[in-house]
Amino acid sequence: MFISIEKLKKSYRTGEVETAVLKGIDLKLKKGEIGVILGPSGSGKSTLMNILGGIDRCDSGKITVDGTVITDLNDDQLTNYRRDQVGFIFQFYNLVPNLTVAENVEVVSNISKAPLDTDEVLKAVDLLDKKHRFPRELSGGEQQRVSIARAIVKNPKLLLCDEPTGALDFTTSREILKLLQQINKGYNTTILMITHNTAISAMADRVLRLRSGEIAGETFNGKTVPAERIEW
Amino acid sequence: MVINKKITRTMLENRSSYLGSLVLIIISCLLFTMMTQLSGNMASLTSAFEKDYVQDDAVFVTAGKLDNIRELESKFGARIEEGASFDYAATKDKTLRIFRQNTKVDLPAVIEGKNLSGGDIMVDPSFAKANGLKIGDGLRVFDRTFKISGFVSLPNFIYILKNETDIINDPQTFGIAVIGKDDFDRFDKGSSFYSIKFDPVSGAGGVNSASTNSASAANDNGSIGAREKQFRDYLKASGVLVSQWTDIGDNARVNYVKIKIEGIRGVSTSMPAAILLLTCILTGIVVWRMLQRESIIIGTLYAQGYRRKELRRHYLMYPLTIAAIGAITGTALGAFTLRPMLAVMVSYFNIPVGSITYSAGYIAASLLLPMFFLGISGAFVLQKVLRNTPIDLMKGVREKNRVNFIERKLKLDRFRFATKFRIREQLRSLSRLAFLLIGVVMATMLLLLGFTAKSSLDNLMNYGFKDTYKFQYEYVYRSLQEARTPAGAEKFSAASVTLKSNSDTSFEIVGIEPGAKYLLLKNKNGTALNPDQVIITRPLAEKLKAGPGDIIDVVGKTDSREYSVTVDSIAETFIGEFIFMPIEQLNKQIGLPAGSYMGLWSDTALAIPENQLYSARTVEDSVKDFNKSTEPIQTTVGVISFMSFIIGLIVIYVVTSLIIEENKGNISLMKVFGYRRKEVNSLILNSSSIMIVIGYIIGIPLILTTMSMFFKSLTESVKLTLPVVISYPYVIIGFIVIWLTYEISKAMSKRKVDRISMAEALKAGTE
Repeated sequence: MFISIEKLKKSYRTGEVETAVLKGIDLKLKKGEIGVILGPSGSGKSTLMNILGGIDRCDSGKITVDGTVITDLNDDQLTNYRRDQVGFIFQFYNLVPNLTVAENVEVVSNISKAPLDTDEVLKAVDLLDKKHRFPRELSGGEQQRVSIARAIVKNPKLLLCDEPTGALDFTTSREILKLLQQINKGYNTTILMITHNTAISAMADRVLRLRSGEIAGETFNGKTVPAERIEW
Repeated sequence: MVINKKITRTMLENRSSYLGSLVLIIISCLLFTMMTQLSGNMASLTSAFEKDYVQDDAVFVTAGKLDNIRELESKFGARIEEGASFDYAATKDKTLRIFRQNTKVDLPAVIEGKNLSGGDIMVDPSFAKANGLKIGDGLRVFDRTFKISGFVSLPNFIYILKNETDIINDPQTFGIAVIGKDDFDRFDKGSSFYSIKFDPVSGAGGVNSASTNSASAANDNGSIGAREKQFRDYLKASGVLVSQWTDIGDNARVNYVKIKIEGIRGVSTSMPAAILLLTCILTGIVVWRMLQRESIIIGTLYAQGYRRKELRRHYLMYPLTIAAIGAITGTALGAFTLRPMLAVMVSYFNIPVGSITYSAGYIAASLLLPMFFLGISGAFVLQKVLRNTPIDLMKGVREKNRVNFIERKLKLDRFRFATKFRIREQLRSLSRLAFLLIGVVMATMLLLLGFTAKSSLDNLMNYGFKDTYKFQYEYVYRSLQEARTPAGAEKFSAASVTLKSNSDTSFEIVGIEPGAKYLLLKNKNGTALNPDQVIITRPLAEKLKAGPGDIIDVVGKTDSREYSVTVDSIAETFIGEFIFMPIEQLNKQIGLPAGSYMGLWSDTALAIPENQLYSARTVEDSVKDFNKSTEPIQTTVGVISFMSFIIGLIVIYVVTSLIIEENKGNISLMKVFGYRRKEVNSLILNSSSIMIVIGYIIGIPLILTTMSMFFKSLTESVKLTLPVVISYPYVIIGFIVIWLTYEISKAMSKRKVDRISMAEALKAGTE
C-alpha cells in the first residue's frame, strides 16, 4: 500500500476539556489512486489530512507513506517529507499576492530536488500565457490552477487537496477536478481530497466517510467517472 | 465609548510597533527640548556675560605706552584699559596664563568663591578641576604662594585656548588666572596690551561731544569697524605705532562659543524634525495596518449605526495617545537633562551660570508638534479607509493584495527566485520602504556625524598643518627685528589687513623668504608652489572670489596703510585665510625696513629671551596636544553612535516586524511546503539587506554635504576652514555598526518567525 493509516488518534485539550478529533482511523490507498474523504464540519477530515501531510502530529497510531513511517519522523525529517513528497492544494488557493503566476510556482520549485519545468507545468494547467500576471488579475478558477501548478511542479508522490473546489462555481469546479484527474493519470500521482461534496466521490477509487472522528463508511469504487461527467 | 477599551489591548498586542513609535517620539522631543533650551540659555548667558562684564571690541598692542587714555576715551566714546599677562609654566607641560585684574574692560567674573584681596588668585574652573585645585588651596607662582579665593571667567577668554590658532582646549595643560594689580606688578613680568570697548552710539548726538571729526564720521558709518579705523588713524596721526590689533570678531576664544551655539541651534530643530518625520511615517504605517486588519470590525460598527466621526475619534486615539505619552516623557526628560548638559557646556566654555530659563514657546512646541503631526498622518490614513462603504469594509478592504505600479513594471525573470522574492517583498509597501530607507539614511548620517567630525579634525591637523608647516618651532617677536637670523632659521613677517572695500573682511598677509623651506604650499595638482610669488590660500580665494591675476586692495589694520597685491597662484591648503608673498615685497609695501622681520621658523629650539617674544609654539607639541585633546571627541562620537544604533535598531526591527506580520500567511505556507527554518529566515529577514546597503551608501554623501554646508555657515564669521572628509576606516566601521544593528534586529525577529504556525496557512482567507 502507498498509504497506510492504522488506529490513528488525535485529541485537543482546551483548558480542562479534552476533545477527541480522531478516534482510531484506519485507511489504505494504493499508489496512483484518488481517495476522497467526505464528512461534515468537525468530523476530523482536516485533522486527518494535516497529520498525513506532516503538518500536525497524532497522539497514537501509525502512518506509512511509500514505505516511510511518518509518525516516527522528527521535525526536520517531517520538513523533508513535506518538501520532497507532498503537494498541497488549498480551498482558498493561498497564493502569494505580490508574486506573479510563474513566481508563485517557483516558490515550490525553488526548494525541490528535481522540479518540473515551470513553463511546462503552467502549460499543463493552461496558464502559460498568464505567467506574468498577479493573482488578483485572475479568476478564482485560474487561481486554483496556479495553486495546482505550484503543487505538482515538484512532482510529488502524494497530492493533498483541501476542498479544492469549495470556493468555485460548478463549471469551474468541474474544470479543476478534470485537471486533477489528468494529473493523476499523467504523472501517476496519488491524490487524497477532502470535500463536503458527495458528488465528487464518483471520480475517486476509494471514499472514506468520517463522522465525529470515526469512520462512518468506506467505499471502493470500481468504476470511476470522468470529472466532466460529474453533476451536482 | 466602550470600544475605547480596546486601545490599550491593541497596543499591547502590537507593542513592538507602538513602542518603536513611542521611543522615537521620546528621542525627538528630548533632543528638541534639550537643544533649543540649551542653545537659548547658552546664548542668553553668553550675551549677558559679554554685556555685564564689558567684553572688549578689540585688543591691541602698541610699540610704546599710551599716556593719553583719558583723552582717547573721551574723544572716541570708548573705555580703554591697559591689561597685562604672563605665562607661568607650573610644570614642563602645564601653563597658567596670569592676567592683571581689569576694572574697566574685560572684567573678571567671579563664578564661585570670593573676589580678590591681597595675596589671592582666581583660576578658571576647568583648569582647577582638571588639576585638582580647590578654593582655599595655595597656588605657587614663581617664588610666591597665592591663595585661591575663587573661580573666574573672562569675557574675552570664554573658550580657553592657549594659542589663537588652537582648535580644542585642554584644561589639563592650560588655564587662566587673575591676580590683583599690586600682586601682578610686583612680579615685573609679562607684556601689556590695551582693551577697548566703544560705547553705544546714541542718536544723532554722536560718539561724544568732544569728538568732532571722529564723531561725525562715526555717524556716517557708525559700525564698530569704522570707529576702530578712525581710532587707529588717530593713533597713527599721533605717531603711535600699533603692532597688533585683534577684533573681538577675530578672537577664536569668543568665536567658538558662538559657533557652538549656532551649531546646537542648527541641529536642535533639524535632527528632531527628521526623527519626527520617521515617527509620522511609522505611525501612519502602523495605523494603516491596524485599519486594514480591523476593516471588518469598522464595517460592522458602521453598519450598526456608529458615525464616521465617532470611528475617526476612536482610531485617532491611537496615534494621539502615543504622541501625548511620548511628547510629555521626551519633553520632561529634555528639561531635566538641560542642567547637566549646561554643566557640560560650561566645562568647555567658561561662562558664569545664573538662573536657567525655559522658553514656554519651545516647550509648548515640543508637547504639541508630535500630536499635531501624528494626528495628521493618522487622519490621512483614516480618511482613506473611512470613505469606504460599510459593505466594502465588512467584505474586507484587502489592500495587501494590491500590486503597485513598480511591482507591475518590474521584469525579474532573469533573477533567481530568492532575489525576486526579496525585491518584491521590499517593493510591496512603498511607505514601509520609505520608512526603512529614511531610517537607515538617518542612522547612517547620525553615526557618521561623529566620525566625520573626528576625521575632519584629524585631517586638518595631520594633512593640513603638518603637510604645510615644515618647521618645528615658531617664534613671534613683540617688536620688529632687524638683526641677522640665526643659522637654520627662516624669517617671516605678518600684517593684519582688511579689504579696502569691506572693513569687516580681515585676513593676514605673511611675508616669507623667497626660498622658504619651512612652508610647503601646493597647487591643485599637488605640485609645490615656488614661494617667490604671491600665493593665496584656497579658503581666502573662495571668500574673496579671487584667482591668479586678480588685484586685492587692502588696508593695514594697525597703520591704515593702503596697498594692493596681485595674486599669482592659489594654494590648496586649509590652514586658514592667508596671502603669502616674498618678505621683502611685503616689507616694502607696509613701509618696514628692508631685511626686517617679526618672527622666525626653525627646526631647532632658539634661545630667545621670553620678554622679547609675543608667542612661541612647536608644531610637534601642537599635534601631540591636539591628538590628546581630541580624545573627548571620541566620547561624543561614542554617544552619538549609540544613539544612531538605537534609532537604526528601532527602525529596522519595526520594519522587520511589519514584514513578518504581513508575511504571516506566506511564512506559514513556506513551512507547509517544506522550507527549512534557515531558508524562511533567509527569504523573509534578509529581504531588507539591499536597502540597508543602499541607505548607507546614500547616507555618506548626504552627511558630507550637510556637514560641509553646516561648517561653511558656521565658520563664515571666523577664519576657520574645516574641509569635511571621512576616512575609509570610519566608513567601514560605520557600515559594520549599521550591519550589526541589522543583524541584531534580525536575531530579535527570528523568534517571531519561528512562532508562526503552519495552521496560519490553513485558515487563510481568499487569494
